[in-house]
Amino acid sequence: MPPTVSASGLTLRYGGTVALDDVSLRLGEGVTGLLGPNGAGKTTLLRVLATAVPADRGAFTVLGHDPGSPSGRLDVRRRLGYLPQTPGFHQDFSAFAFVDYVAILKELTDRTARHREVRRVLDAVDLSDVRGKRIKKLSGGMRQRVALAAALVGDPGFLVLDEPTVGLDPEQRMRFRELIAQAGEGRTVLLSTHQTEDVAMLCHRVIVMASGRVRFEGTPAELTARAAGRVWSSTERDPGARAGWRTGTGSFRNVGDPPPGAELLEPTLEDGYLLTLDGETAEVAA
Amino acid sequence: MSAADTIERTAPTGVEPSASGQGSRTRAVLALARFEARELLLQIPVFAFLVLYVVYTGWQMFSGREGMDDFPVLQDVDRDTQSGPILLGVALFVCVNRAVLRSRRRDTDRHLDVLPMDPWRRTVAHGLSVVPFAALTALVVTFQFTWAALKPGAVGHGSPAELAVGPLSVLLSGILGVLSARLVTSSFAAPLLVVGFVAFGTLVSVGASDAHWERWLWPSISEMGRTALPSDLIGRPAAWHALYLSGLVVLLLCLAVLRGGGRTRTTVAVTALALAATGAGIAGQSPGDPASLAAARTEATVTPQKVQSCVTHGRSTYCAYPEWTGRTADWARVVDGVQSLAGGAAGGERLTVRQRVDARYGLDGDAALAPSTTRGTVTVGTRWGGNRTPEFAVGVASVLVAGDEESAGTMCDARGVTAMWLALGALPHPKTAFTNVTLDDHVDGAEVILAPTNPISLTSEQTRIVQELLQRPRYSVVPKVKAHWAELTSPKTSTARAAELLGVPAGDGGTKTSDGDSCGG
Repeated sequence: MPPTVSASGLTLRYGGTVALDDVSLRLGEGVTGLLGPNGAGKTTLLRVLATAVPADRGAFTVLGHDPGSPSGRLDVRRRLGYLPQTPGFHQDFSAFAFVDYVAILKELTDRTARHREVRRVLDAVDLSDVRGKRIKKLSGGMRQRVALAAALVGDPGFLVLDEPTVGLDPEQRMRFRELIAQAGEGRTVLLSTHQTEDVAMLCHRVIVMASGRVRFEGTPAELTARAAGRVWSSTERDPGARAGWRTGTGSFRNVGDPPPGAELLEPTLEDGYLLTLDGETAEVAA
Repeated sequence: MSAADTIERTAPTGVEPSASGQGSRTRAVLALARFEARELLLQIPVFAFLVLYVVYTGWQMFSGREGMDDFPVLQDVDRDTQSGPILLGVALFVCVNRAVLRSRRRDTDRHLDVLPMDPWRRTVAHGLSVVPFAALTALVVTFQFTWAALKPGAVGHGSPAELAVGPLSVLLSGILGVLSARLVTSSFAAPLLVVGFVAFGTLVSVGASDAHWERWLWPSISEMGRTALPSDLIGRPAAWHALYLSGLVVLLLCLAVLRGGGRTRTTVAVTALALAATGAGIAGQSPGDPASLAAARTEATVTPQKVQSCVTHGRSTYCAYPEWTGRTADWARVVDGVQSLAGGAAGGERLTVRQRVDARYGLDGDAALAPSTTRGTVTVGTRWGGNRTPEFAVGVASVLVAGDEESAGTMCDARGVTAMWLALGALPHPKTAFTNVTLDDHVDGAEVILAPTNPISLTSEQTRIVQELLQRPRYSVVPKVKAHWAELTSPKTSTARAAELLGVPAGDGGTKTSDGDSCGG
């Protein structure tokens, strides 16, 4: 099966800062997680793929369409659903009106069919009961679901989600993961996140970025496997470890190159992620 | 059905608009325009001023607060439709401006800019969202004008170009809101601009009232004198102005679209056309009144007989400007009513009722008509109904009593009482009519009575006697008036003598208020 998204050599500079440095990737059906520390270039990559900003160099296609030309860009946009980081809302609109508005901007012109589609996506994100309520009266989690519904309307083949679970409480995050998993069935979803848990629970593939470069591309299991034999337990923090923290049992969990005879532990995705960053700043729950 | 079922059911292949190509993109713009129009209607200022406009217009049409409404002059009615939508236009200006800035204010640009509809097409949709309001205004204007035109007393001709100004002003206000949002991205700009427009408009109207070309750059130019002029003497460049406004609407929208990034060949071409139309409109409306118009106005003022046609009803002749010839029967009814109460030769006198206007200063001219010195000639204006009807009756009665309009201006004592009773006694509601023809709209002591030319002054005693006479049945007064006609119309007869002749008791303040010898005529 040909990839939904295929990018090669994407490079973008902001002044003297290299935001993307020769990024190449291929995305297929299902949810792909994009992990990386702040400033890694995740949001920039998503904005390039969403055609919000053009890359200085390199090329990519979405479902076979090249956004390099105006008509190609339009073709890509017609197949794209984008949920930006901290999305804005037209607060005075109802949930239905906002998604309907986005649907019009996606050029769904038949009013009856469009309204049916808006109801479908609001139902899909479990907002049918509050669709007539103004957005400013909805909770943060509900607003985030409105944004997801807006991204889903028109049934896009490629869905770009930029840290959609930030600011949500655990229950809301679980609900959102469920929605993203459903959205990934039958379409390509690129999910940028700081939460390794999100990736572990949702993604069939994962990309790790740091300093504008792709450091890893593979399955979550492969990323986890990178830490195999490199996680150990100790009573004190091991000064030779790349990272180490006290766990709930009182012992220390260390990641790095274990000393001989160390008590090795089962690695997690987060361990693999930390080792992949290899000295880059990582924001993980410690 | 669960959410999962819903998503699984479809095979996502990307957004496929109902049809690809330019047609579907245009349909999307129209769909967005409809959406934005609905949102505009939900804005309190727009909704409130729209309701206010419709209700106020309806109230004006149906309240019948002035009798003149039953006798509309259509070349004035068309201009009357222009001021009503101004507040709606202001509300649209502010709310459209806010709507255009909404995505910036709410930080949704990042999201919306990656959707298939380009930002400049959204600008077009915002411009088109005002169209339903302009269409509604056009509907109200059409209804307003048609209502007036269908009245049996309607005269004259309306101008479609004048009628178009109201809807075009609404459209222009909305488009200005779009353009200002594209030029200044602050939400405070629109209210400040409204204040600026009002201040600038006030300065222009105060400082350059004679600058014809400058005045006509404004959307609505009110020129509402008290006199209705024949339509061929109005001289307003209405068609050029409508072209100017139409061109300006399109031009400003094109500038907003260009500013929003829509630099297509079509936009550039339409911009050029709109610029040409606007320029042509300005060039056409800027010159002042041509010499031929001034000559025609002078002729209609000084020698109206050259442009009027005359008809005979009963004993009298009625001369009217062409558009008013249908109204001569109304005048004749008043003349016949007044004459039926008069005695002596006046009861059978052949009068000439001549319609007159002072058109020399155009629509803003508000000059009083000079009284006619020709015996038996009565002046009638171009307005009818309401207070104008009893005023005309006063004019007719004055001429029957004094002989001509100029002499009627100095009429007093018995003649004043006689003329007033003749005028009011012939009307269906004489006491109300008496109140309506006074300058201060109430009858209390000495009064100034309005007439088509010179007013008539009544002393307190004369007013009292007329009021007394109006209390009595007409059949009881008419024989006395006819019997003593010569004495009652003599300039030498005092007010007290008139009261005596008419059987009205002397007043508390004395019976003789002036010496008959001091009266003119």
